[in-house]
Amino acid sequence: MLSETETRLLGVMMMVIMLGMGASLTFKDFAIALRKPVGVAVGLLCQYGIMPFLAFLLAKGLGLPPAYAVGLILMGCMPGGTTSNIFTYFSKGTLSLSILMTISSTLVAIVMVPLTLAFYSAGIEGEWQIPRENVIQVLVVLLVPTVLGIALRKWNANVGAVIELIGGLLGVLVILFLTLSWVPRNWQLLLTTGFPVYVGSIGLGLGGFVLGYGLSRLLKQDARRSRTIALETGIQNGPLAVLIVLLTFSGTQQQEVLLIPVLYSLFIVLSSSAVTVWFRRITTREELARDAAKVGALKSA
Amino acid sequence: MPAVTPYEVKPWLSQYGAAVPAELPRPAHASLAAMAEAAAERHAERVAFSCVLPNGMFGRLSYAQVRQLSDAFAHYLRRVVGLQAGDRVALQMPNCLAWPVALLGVLKAGCVAVNTNPLYTPREMTHQFADSGAKVVVIVDLFADQLEQALAGTPVQQVVVVRVTDFFPPLVGAIAHAVMKYWNRAVPPHALPKVHTLQQALAAGRAADAGPARGYWAELTHDSLALLQYTGGTTGVAKGAELTHGNLLWNLAQMRAMAGSRIDEGREVVLTALPLYHIFAFTVNFLCMFEAGARNVLVPSPRPVQSLQRAIENEKITWITGVNTLFNALLNEEWFTAYPPKHLKAAGGGGAAMHHAVVERFEQVTGAPLAEGYGLTECSPVVCFQPLHGPRVKDSIGIPVPGTDITLIDDAGQPVAMGQPGELCVRGPQVMRGYWQRPEATAEVFRDGWLRTGDVAVMDAQGTFRIVDRKKDLVLVSGFNVYPNEIEDALARHDAVMEAAVIGLADPKTGEAVHAYVVLREDTVGKVSEADLLAHCRTLLTGYKVPARVHFRTELPKTPIGKILRKDLRAQAQAAAGPR
Repeated sequence: MLSETETRLLGVMMMVIMLGMGASLTFKDFAIALRKPVGVAVGLLCQYGIMPFLAFLLAKGLGLPPAYAVGLILMGCMPGGTTSNIFTYFSKGTLSLSILMTISSTLVAIVMVPLTLAFYSAGIEGEWQIPRENVIQVLVVLLVPTVLGIALRKWNANVGAVIELIGGLLGVLVILFLTLSWVPRNWQLLLTTGFPVYVGSIGLGLGGFVLGYGLSRLLKQDARRSRTIALETGIQNGPLAVLIVLLTFSGTQQQEVLLIPVLYSLFIVLSSSAVTVWFRRITTREELARDAAKVGALKSA
Repeated sequence: MPAVTPYEVKPWLSQYGAAVPAELPRPAHASLAAMAEAAAERHAERVAFSCVLPNGMFGRLSYAQVRQLSDAFAHYLRRVVGLQAGDRVALQMPNCLAWPVALLGVLKAGCVAVNTNPLYTPREMTHQFADSGAKVVVIVDLFADQLEQALAGTPVQQVVVVRVTDFFPPLVGAIAHAVMKYWNRAVPPHALPKVHTLQQALAAGRAADAGPARGYWAELTHDSLALLQYTGGTTGVAKGAELTHGNLLWNLAQMRAMAGSRIDEGREVVLTALPLYHIFAFTVNFLCMFEAGARNVLVPSPRPVQSLQRAIENEKITWITGVNTLFNALLNEEWFTAYPPKHLKAAGGGGAAMHHAVVERFEQVTGAPLAEGYGLTECSPVVCFQPLHGPRVKDSIGIPVPGTDITLIDDAGQPVAMGQPGELCVRGPQVMRGYWQRPEATAEVFRDGWLRTGDVAVMDAQGTFRIVDRKKDLVLVSGFNVYPNEIEDALARHDAVMEAAVIGLADPKTGEAVHAYVVLREDTVGKVSEADLLAHCRTLLTGYKVPARVHFRTELPKTPIGKILRKDLRAQAQAAAGPR
């Protein structure tokens, strides 16, 4: 179990991350995004249509016990993770789309997460339910730094850009922190954890990639945008789920529910890295193909 | 005695109205250094330069800072490196805060600046440094490894390496530099001998003499050489146009006379997306706006054009200058069309012909006039501009700037009748002295004191000029002259077309045939066929002008400022056709 200090530290780090995410966008970016509601709608559909349903199916199909099921479904209901922006950058995806999807899914989270969570965890026994107030409380607390970040960017672009970078770095550090503080204390649990839990933790991310790509292709997004949406869909805000669990449960109950969010956060870094390398290759190949289609870029003497 | 030609009558004078004086007084300052010194005194605390990176990070220099830093750099060049008045210093960097410091430092040292494209290959660099006799190269770290291979065979004694993030707030600059170096891997290691960083150079300069640098430039006159501006690199071997302090001061005054109605001293914010090593941005954005106490917003790289978004959001832009491709690219960006700069007073276009469709759309979107001008390196560069105070004739290059004579001549060297196309020749105080150490090339381009531009133009009764095309880009279809610009403009009017270039290629039936190269807008690729575009052209153009073929491309070859290189297209097409 995480100590009180560690929980607080995690909370503070999350605030900095959200501050950084807010600082990466300006008010104009939102206004522009809202002019093209289709793009944002596709993203939100993937985020809150596909992921919670996929988590629910996995939990049912794998026959997970309530503690794990609620962890998995919670994970599925989370908004997009800020690390997706870093992976999108490395995979040569459409960075602005990625940032916009993350931020818009975070903003509507205050409505969508309690809704989807209540809907998909309705069949789970009462003691494992996550109260709506806890979810809303965490989200409200995180919305404040997000909006503050946007205001900071507006006030001084240098401060905004620096915070944006710090937030991005912290996003990676937090996952490392979670992994390093949780795994050594729970290695026995890891050893005894059954195969289905691993399938659920890893499958949620991978399934998100595949379905996110498929749906956006179906909705006529081009290949590069679809790859961006795929990454965005698969990568959830793991630390946020951890925070909600920490607030809601205690003792062994907490340890059990935490298992899947932590495993997910750990494996999503690995699978996203692999997918990023792969996507990067595809994008590069497409670029080269476009170059070859030209009569040849002459270098003028 | 020949009759008075329409060009001697100067019908354009009537268009000057009350806003533009027909005769300008001789520029008061003896040199650009004196001009800069006076401007820095008048506007000391104002922001002179703001460099904005694509992520919104920025650094700023006030007029007073630019003055002190350039004085230190002048002392460095004269006292530490030991340069003499008239020695050449090459500047090779994208738009960044180091540029005005280095450029004004060179001019204040009484030296001559050699603007150099940072994207040059080592071979091109070697040519330019050897030809100009540059003793010092000030280069951005992004390309310092290229310089290593270029130095042999040049007289370069000292290299100064600058960073795009020089003069940024320390933490911001360090982060931005680290991102460039470790994340983008854009800063290559180099093993250049005799290197100073800009900060080291400035410290050494200050240590040598902490006072003003007036002593070095007090003797400069209008006849002193200020700039070697290389040109013609795309057609043959690059030649250095010798631009004097007088040439540039005159052109500055001419440009301000034409745009004066929309330039308020100390209140303008100009977006400088075009590179300052190019003469258009050098004179219009830097010289004019510096003298006017404006804030110059420097964008290191306008490509992709998305990089301009934060600059336009951060600063209350009142002026934009650009070339057709830049305006075209901006108009394809949703963030620009949805939220165009609110404070925009005017935009200036030049460098290459502006397309009608682009101008119309830009004015519609921003509500500000986009005035087109015409110039060339050899003329510092502005020759003509559409008057900003009065009615502007669309698709024209406007009227000659005050103090400029223009005549249009035929192949026999005789002035052509009004309304007839002829080669544009210029005479005026902004015309260069000649090409650096190339008397034959100089003799070739001057005739009876007139500079021959190689551009074909026509003049109407009001004295408004219109460029028809480059003389050598004319396409001769079955004996008819076809001007590529007209065809490109027709193509650009099609909604699906992002940009188009037209060239003539040998044809067994018609001698030459019109070939169009078209880049479609992203969302229309594959939805518009060659036949669609040809049908569109037939509605706008007579039969012989309609392209024989339309070739689709994803990109067109361009110069660093975005001028489409028809020459490269022709070479590609000829290479593809194989030797004959």
